[in-house]
Amino acid sequence: MISETFYLDHNLESIDPMVQLLVRTAENSLRQDVLGRFGICTSEALTNLVLHAKNCAPDAEMQIKLSETEIAVFLEVYDPEGADPFDLRKYATDLSEIDVMAEGGRGLGLIMACADHVAYGRVDNKYRLGLTFNKADKLG
Amino acid sequence: MIHSTQTDDGIIIVRPGVQRLTAVNSKAFKDEIVALIDAGNSEFVIDFTSTTFLDSSGLGALAGVLKKIGHRGDLAVCGLGPDVMQMFTICRMDRVFSIYPDEAAALRALSEKS
Repeated sequence: MISETFYLDHNLESIDPMVQLLVRTAENSLRQDVLGRFGICTSEALTNLVLHAKNCAPDAEMQIKLSETEIAVFLEVYDPEGADPFDLRKYATDLSEIDVMAEGGRGLGLIMACADHVAYGRVDNKYRLGLTFNKADKLG
Repeated sequence: MIHSTQTDDGIIIVRPGVQRLTAVNSKAFKDEIVALIDAGNSEFVIDFTSTTFLDSSGLGALAGVLKKIGHRGDLAVCGLGPDVMQMFTICRMDRVFSIYPDEAAALRALSEKS
């Protein structure tokens, strides 16, 4: 069972190696198409945080936890210390409402579309984005 | 970053030159293709055979290229692996772009159109 903690530096160049590491860690626990959604979701969530986290120290690390149960894989992304809370569920636009020719604005909608459940709230004095990816289809 | 070649018909074949097209490199990707459009080229095939992943920034850059070409030319994409195709499908971009399995099929389609 996966139960690992990672730390991401606050810069764009650090995101992709972290996404690939998380995908490799989860690859034996999720069906291939769910793993694809997991990769997209992880990339969008970390990019959003690095680009848009406000009022945190420029060198603030972000804590990421990856774990699993019998039924799902859980990705927890903690906002860097000092960052303003940002509940993306309130701001995400459904992908069906986005102009297909738009050059931006898909990131939050992708997170909502690719995760099976999205949560956000205060945990241990920090704000945490929680993303769930179900294994159920894998069994079916 | 991109690698481009031109066919005898004047079609530009672009290979992104990166395995992963993301927020780190998508602006350079778009800028370099836009420079080719500004230089007078109007028909493009973008071959993603060597690109295994693109995020929303990469997809946005591709939409920007398509907008820049507009009605003056044509753009086809090919060689989409499963993860890239999944991204196109989720974002409904499979309805916007002409998608072909490989360069030969994409070139044949563009040549027949012109």
